Amino acid sequence: MTFLRRQLPLLITLVTGLLFAAQYYIPHPSSELMLTSVSKWLQIIGGFALILGVTSLFRIHAVKIRRKEPGWGYSFVLYAGMIGTIVIGLWHGGKETTDGITTTFGWIYTFMMVPLQGTMFAILAFFIASAAYRSFRARSREAAVLLIAAIIVMMGRVPLGEHLIPISGDITQWILNVLNASVRRAILIGVSLGAVALSLKIMFGVERAYLGGGKE
Amino acid sequence: MNFAERMLHIDRRIIFLMIGLCTLIPLLYPVGLAIKVSPEVKSVYDYIEALPEGSVFLLSLDFDPASKPELYPQAVALLHHAFKKNLRVIGMTLWLPGTGMASEVVSRVAREEGKVSGKDYVFLGWSPGASSVIINMGQDLYKAFPTDYNNQPTTELPVLKGVQSLRDVAYVISLAAGSTGIETWYVFGKDKYKFELGGGCTGVIAPGLYPLLRSGQINGLIGGLRGAAEYEVLIGRKGNAVAGMDAQSATHFAIILLVILCNVFYLLTRTSKNRAEQSLR
Repeated sequence: MTFLRRQLPLLITLVTGLLFAAQYYIPHPSSELMLTSVSKWLQIIGGFALILGVTSLFRIHAVKIRRKEPGWGYSFVLYAGMIGTIVIGLWHGGKETTDGITTTFGWIYTFMMVPLQGTMFAILAFFIASAAYRSFRARSREAAVLLIAAIIVMMGRVPLGEHLIPISGDITQWILNVLNASVRRAILIGVSLGAVALSLKIMFGVERAYLGGGKE
Repeated sequence: MNFAERMLHIDRRIIFLMIGLCTLIPLLYPVGLAIKVSPEVKSVYDYIEALPEGSVFLLSLDFDPASKPELYPQAVALLHHAFKKNLRVIGMTLWLPGTGMASEVVSRVAREEGKVSGKDYVFLGWSPGASSVIINMGQDLYKAFPTDYNNQPTTELPVLKGVQSLRDVAYVISLAAGSTGIETWYVFGKDKYKFELGGGCTGVIAPGLYPLLRSGQINGLIGGLRGAAEYEVLIGRKGNAVAGMDAQSATHFAIILLVILCNVFYLLTRTSKNRAEQSLR
């Protein structure tokens, strides 16, 4: 059992990891064919992952409703919304329109999901303004630099700013293209090196957290 | 509590009201200030403009309805431009919640431009896997999407004639609201299958994509509502993005004013506290 639970997954990870790292550099037709097949597998596995995610969500909220935990009413709304949408979606074959006529599934999407998500995102503007007023203070020299840069960029990204101070647009471009890009690139390089190191650790079995817990 | 301290603890509903009015009033009474086009948006426009008629243009609408105000106008402007140039348009999405919206915008703009589904454009829809979808499309587009969103077999579509994989696509643009988007298309697509890649994104993720722009990994970037407005100016078709720029100007200035005021009150409070401490000593 230990072989199936530990050694075999580690072996599969090592072999596939090395194989597909090498595949990138081998443009032979058989190597490309292998990549085509495996990428199709990945798409299929992705589909199953979706089912797994939905099942897990159902289970978590079922427990909340059964135990009447705080906020169980929201879980009930989630259940009703999900089951309703799935049933109606399956009934209409997942189509928002049929022969140019909006289906019930399309109605739910257009008139419930789209405005609700839009509203949630739009509320951010109000919270950002309130948070900026309360916390964007020049408490130190570094904070003052950040504050001045933010004000310039906010001015330079809108027509009114460029109309009042024409140079603000060019300064904004310089801040984004030079200062911001170089710092972001440094972060990206660091993150990428970390990802390479983690991949190697997973491939060679040093990092095994993905195997989950359980007895040896 | 003195005046400055009171102002620092102002009721946040006053701030909400201020932002609400700054958004609403310019939408009702637009000023229409001139919009300057940035080089990164011009690059995208110039590249599409230079594509020969019949070239394959893939637009990946990688966003959900939450980002509709910023990215939908970008999609509309890009699609109008591509259809005007008589490019063969492939639409798709890597974001499941955005599928219906993406399908609607592609078919709506195509209808406005008098284009026919299957002949002039195709909407492939969504397929699970994100990065593996891109790899699969790079290997064989018909295996990644055997049918389009309307269940038509993709092998039979005239719009895809001569297109076997991403290698046959002249230009890809990803309109992204998050990490599955422009970066994914670069890492798993452009790097291996050698097509030209451009990007469009929400304002909040735009600064993070400048390194890709500077290194030539993407040839242009349309950032937020401002980018969409610039593109609308370039194609000479002013729409929702240009209309929203006055509101964005007003809200940006409202936030700038609030930040300046809060710092003035903060400095006044700090100075009075310092004075009080000195007098106690």
